[in-house]
Amino acid sequence: MPVSTPTLQALVPALPLAAAILTMLLGRRLGHRAHLPAVFGIAGAAVAAVMLLLSTHAIATHEIASHGADAGHGDPHSAAAAFQTAKRFDSPATLWHWATIDEAIVPSPAATPPGTPLSAPNAGGSAAAIPFSIPIQLRLDPLTATMLALVTCVGLLVAIYSIGYMSHDPDYARFFSLVALFVFSMTMLVSATNFLVVYVFWEAVGACSYLLIGFWFRKPEAARAAKKAFLVNRVGDFGLAIAVFLIWMTYGTLNFHDVTLADGSLQPGVLGVTRLEEPGRIVGGAIGTVICLCLLLAACGKSAQAPLHVWLPDAMEGPTPASSLIHAATMVTAGIYLVARCAPLFEACPGALVAVSLVGAVTALLAGLIATVQNDLKRVLAYSTISQLGYMFVSLGTGTLLGFTAAIFHLVTHAFFKALLFMGAGSVMHSMGGVIDMRRFGGLRRIMPITAATFLVGSLALAGVPPFAGFFSKDEILASLHAKAFPGGHDGHHEPSTVATVLQPVGFSARLAANPTNTPATNWLDGLDRPTVWRAIWWMAILTAGLTAFYTFRAVFMTFSGPERVPEEAAGHDHAHGGSGPHESPPVMTIPLCILAAASAVSGWWLFSTHALSDFLAVTPSLAAPAVAATAVPHAFHVDIAIQGTLAAAIGIAVAAIGHLGRRSDGPQMERFLGPLEWLFANRFFIDQLYSAFVVKPLEALAFVAAAFDRFVIDGTVDAVGRLPVAAGSLVRGLQSGLVQRYALAGASGVLLIVLALFWRLRG
Amino acid sequence: MNGFSPSTHLIVTLACPLLGAVVAWVIGSRGLSAIRQSAVVTTLVTLVLAGWLVMRYLASPEAAVGEPYAVASFPWLVSSPVDGGAGGFDIRLSLGLDGLSLWLFALSALLSLTAVLVSWEAVKDRAIGFYSLLLVLESAMLGVFAARDLILFYVFFEFTLVPLFFLIGIWGHDDRRRAAAKFFVYTLAGSVLAFLGLLTIVLWNASHTGSLSFDIATLTAGLAAHPIPMTAESGWLQMWVFLALLAGFAIKVPIFPFHTWLPLAHVEAPTAGSVDLAGVMLKIGMYGFLRFSLPMLPEASAAAAPWLVALGVVGILYGALVALAQTDLKRLVAYSSVSHMGYCVMGLFALEPVAIEGANLQLINHGLSSAGLFALVGMIYERFHTRSIANLGGIASKAPWLAVLFMIFTFSSIGLPGLNGFVGEFLILAGTFQRAWAGAPASIAAAYLAMAILAVLGVVLGAWYMLSAVERVLFGPSREPPGHGSRGHGDHGHAPHGHDHHAGQHAAAKHPLDLAWFEWAALLPLVIFVFWIGLAPGTFLRPAASAVRDATLASRDAFATRVAADSPAGAVAKPDAREVTLEGKP
Repeated sequence: MPVSTPTLQALVPALPLAAAILTMLLGRRLGHRAHLPAVFGIAGAAVAAVMLLLSTHAIATHEIASHGADAGHGDPHSAAAAFQTAKRFDSPATLWHWATIDEAIVPSPAATPPGTPLSAPNAGGSAAAIPFSIPIQLRLDPLTATMLALVTCVGLLVAIYSIGYMSHDPDYARFFSLVALFVFSMTMLVSATNFLVVYVFWEAVGACSYLLIGFWFRKPEAARAAKKAFLVNRVGDFGLAIAVFLIWMTYGTLNFHDVTLADGSLQPGVLGVTRLEEPGRIVGGAIGTVICLCLLLAACGKSAQAPLHVWLPDAMEGPTPASSLIHAATMVTAGIYLVARCAPLFEACPGALVAVSLVGAVTALLAGLIATVQNDLKRVLAYSTISQLGYMFVSLGTGTLLGFTAAIFHLVTHAFFKALLFMGAGSVMHSMGGVIDMRRFGGLRRIMPITAATFLVGSLALAGVPPFAGFFSKDEILASLHAKAFPGGHDGHHEPSTVATVLQPVGFSARLAANPTNTPATNWLDGLDRPTVWRAIWWMAILTAGLTAFYTFRAVFMTFSGPERVPEEAAGHDHAHGGSGPHESPPVMTIPLCILAAASAVSGWWLFSTHALSDFLAVTPSLAAPAVAATAVPHAFHVDIAIQGTLAAAIGIAVAAIGHLGRRSDGPQMERFLGPLEWLFANRFFIDQLYSAFVVKPLEALAFVAAAFDRFVIDGTVDAVGRLPVAAGSLVRGLQSGLVQRYALAGASGVLLIVLALFWRLRG
Repeated sequence: MNGFSPSTHLIVTLACPLLGAVVAWVIGSRGLSAIRQSAVVTTLVTLVLAGWLVMRYLASPEAAVGEPYAVASFPWLVSSPVDGGAGGFDIRLSLGLDGLSLWLFALSALLSLTAVLVSWEAVKDRAIGFYSLLLVLESAMLGVFAARDLILFYVFFEFTLVPLFFLIGIWGHDDRRRAAAKFFVYTLAGSVLAFLGLLTIVLWNASHTGSLSFDIATLTAGLAAHPIPMTAESGWLQMWVFLALLAGFAIKVPIFPFHTWLPLAHVEAPTAGSVDLAGVMLKIGMYGFLRFSLPMLPEASAAAAPWLVALGVVGILYGALVALAQTDLKRLVAYSSVSHMGYCVMGLFALEPVAIEGANLQLINHGLSSAGLFALVGMIYERFHTRSIANLGGIASKAPWLAVLFMIFTFSSIGLPGLNGFVGEFLILAGTFQRAWAGAPASIAAAYLAMAILAVLGVVLGAWYMLSAVERVLFGPSREPPGHGSRGHGDHGHAPHGHDHHAGQHAAAKHPLDLAWFEWAALLPLVIFVFWIGLAPGTFLRPAASAVRDATLASRDAFATRVAADSPAGAVAKPDAREVTLEGKP
């Protein structure tokens, strides 16, 4: 029986939500079957998501071929054909209306200069009042379909793995309920087609993350890490909130897509095809840059980019499957998704694009350096995640079609191999009695061969060794960066689109609209868009590639090679399994590892060689926008770039092998060669301490001062005023008779006197 | 409707709690359980009546056009015109519901049930008096929102103080007498000033129309036709009247710096008192602004609006900071109220349709979340006999469902999307931003923008203090307060109260400290609305929309005039009066 596309779209989030509620309500009654609703719910969502992916892909392929033929140029991948195809994906399915406020903005007639309607962002829209309309709708386009399939499939594997991993936990049901709730929130986030709804689920995934990091809430560290994650994310959410408000003020809508209003007029969405069609309908200049920077702040929070990356390493206090799903494969990529979705907005602001790349490059390098000296296996992986997300930001910041698709490509492959590595680390932890300090491991490949082999595959992919997945996605990122750093090498330099006038021409907007491009800050930022800066970013990226290979294989060698060493906690922690001592994990855990290992091994080559992903993504409305599509380059494999990347990885692995292969992992470390740098890295560049000293402590001191001020100054004044009548009363003590009636009489006559006096005055 | 007209329905609803109070006295001799059962039945019947009335209102033709509903009017204090001059008194028992009062009326009925249920085990001493006063308080709260006559409003307004004064003073904690006295005197002092302002309004209207009317609708129309002068030569009379009303309402809300009675009163009040105080009493001040200040004194409201927005923002940040420094859980929640009411004040005086709608809804949201939090703090206190954050810990291990509900209300309070708090906060902030970005007077536009951004920062601070409290109180290892009871799991021999054994659920076998049935009954209705408003706010925004629009139209126009006057000549035309309808399409 065929199921309609909107039904499938609704099923993807609905099934996990139903599973979450069911598990929450039945809870303990399900006992050791508590995973069933979540596993089947997420499995159903995964099936629906894959069906959607296939149907979207079929539509994209079919349409682009026909539009290519219509257009008459034999090239089916022309930008025009892509944009025609993208129009197919601009109509979402409506679930319900959250709230609608008609006529929330009434533009004043004098405000819109005559003759400019087509270049204005509200071009094509009615000049009448603008409604504040928030429908809950689901969109479906290549980017969303890709994310949906990724989230549900990885989610399913993690859920299955958790059956084994969490089997001894007394709060088994709560875990699966939260995982299902997360899958619901994340699928809604990538399906949302309205900035407010994005904000809603942006915070919702944060709340799921909070609850999962704090899953073992009895551990004070877990409780603290959860709070920290939520608060740091709230700082990012602050950016998103400001961005949403500014978008609302600037564009007069929060919808991504075009909407036909009740009166038949068209309201162009922020990222709708009507607006994207013509350059100049996207606001650039100071306002545009501020919007983009606020979006970037939000992305930094969620995707753990500097300086808001501090929450992610601490988040490793949560159960490892949660780390794998949320803090490696999916939720932390929401920032990448957001920037890619808003690609046209960034495209209009070259300064903001450079900022994205710079943030990414600095984060990638910083986290890579810190990862080299970590001894906690999960923290190595956490810093590696931060670093790889930084890589994706570097790619996004290039502002080219290749850059955007490469970032999503890396997002996909990274989801596979990083989920694999985390689950491998979890498998080790599960077997080693909860110990995760690599210095206490050695030669585990003999005890847990499947874990070791799959971990090795994941590490090869992460390190970017050909032909594993990470190599190809990283190579595309480097290619996009190379084009910016060495213009003229492989493709031309693209010109940023021009600046448009703004919608709300009162107050600030009027002043900014009068002179939209020029503020010193944005000029400075735009000025960074030059090859020297991009070259610096390039070398940072290459250095990071080497560091990645080094710390990854340092972890592999410390854990799995050398003489066999097992921490004493591993012995007999595991009575339930009958046997005691270290062991390979059960099949329910190793099978997901094997599946992910296969994906990590072949997905890169397959997606790269067929261009399946990049051609598919290119018909997403945001990426098919002419401003973005104009930056497209022919598919190519650049041997010089591949050699540089591979060389960096090879050097990293070689250094790690020299230092750690076959040695005892608690022996002398490579780090001693770093000298004071080791101290700097091990203390994570003192960023946490800086926050504590310059943000947390001052605010706490301010809170203390405020509380004292409240108590002594404000309340003290109130009390002093309150004593005045008493003091005055002592002067006229004679009047105090103690008879309540007399007080009442006096009070009443006083009021009466005042009333009469007023009455007379007003009448006269 | 066969005889049960809406007016009768409203009067019966108002009288029901009073009747219940009498019943409680009569059956008082039968003991505690009879008294509290009668109180629960009374509040439940009142809630059903109120809920039914709300549904009848929503289905009525009056609701569609924003007319008052269930209007009942009886002469009360009437005197014929004397000596042929300007008219006699016509004070009426005039009642009715409209979009402004609808949800606050319903909220009062809902929270009264909560207040009775949270006292189930906590109050055993002089129960007759306690429950009677709670029921009298309920009538007074319902009356404030149903009153359509100025004197009647003021009588109810003042009368809410009396039961609450005794509730705090008799059933409160250690420092209850000082708290009760301060609460009573402080709010009374403010409301006497407000009364003077209200009387001036009445007299001004009388001097122009010739009849001494106290009907609020008549007064609003009268003042629209003959505004109180707002010029230097008239001595800024309108501003003085506005300030007099402000004195009463600002203390009630409370607006910084008139808030210090609130933490003291909350900390000392019994849980039921805190629930009613935070849930309903604070809203009366905001309701007063919407009912009197904005429609009747538009020029003064517009002139004061930037200052009140500023005070709102100060309240948000200051309340949040002080909350962060608290060591007492109940005080922390009390200061969070100061912070949250700051959002309401800011949203209302942003004078931007989106923000006003948000502020109006946020009154209900704050009523639900703060009442829930205060109720939970009370439950925690009953179990562990401390409210000290440092001495509490690991409650999630001992009472998982209590922790779950605490988390839900915390998330509601910090504005997590999907729950009710987010809706109000978002609309308030969006509207304030709109005002700051596009509609502020040019000379203070930068200050407005800074205030809007600072208000958004308040969202971060709000999460900080609430989650810090959650981290220390709910999470962490299972901990017992010093000198008290059991240690760790499975050893709850010293459960502090008998009621733990009443809990007959199977979960209670494992967690004897978890919620009892009456605690579930107290909180579950609030949780339902927390989700309902969060997921479908349109349902709640729509019925209030036209009333809120009408009430604020004059002030919005007055503000637009000020903005236009402040702009460089000719650059910006005076914006039209903004007609706004909020509606959620189901």
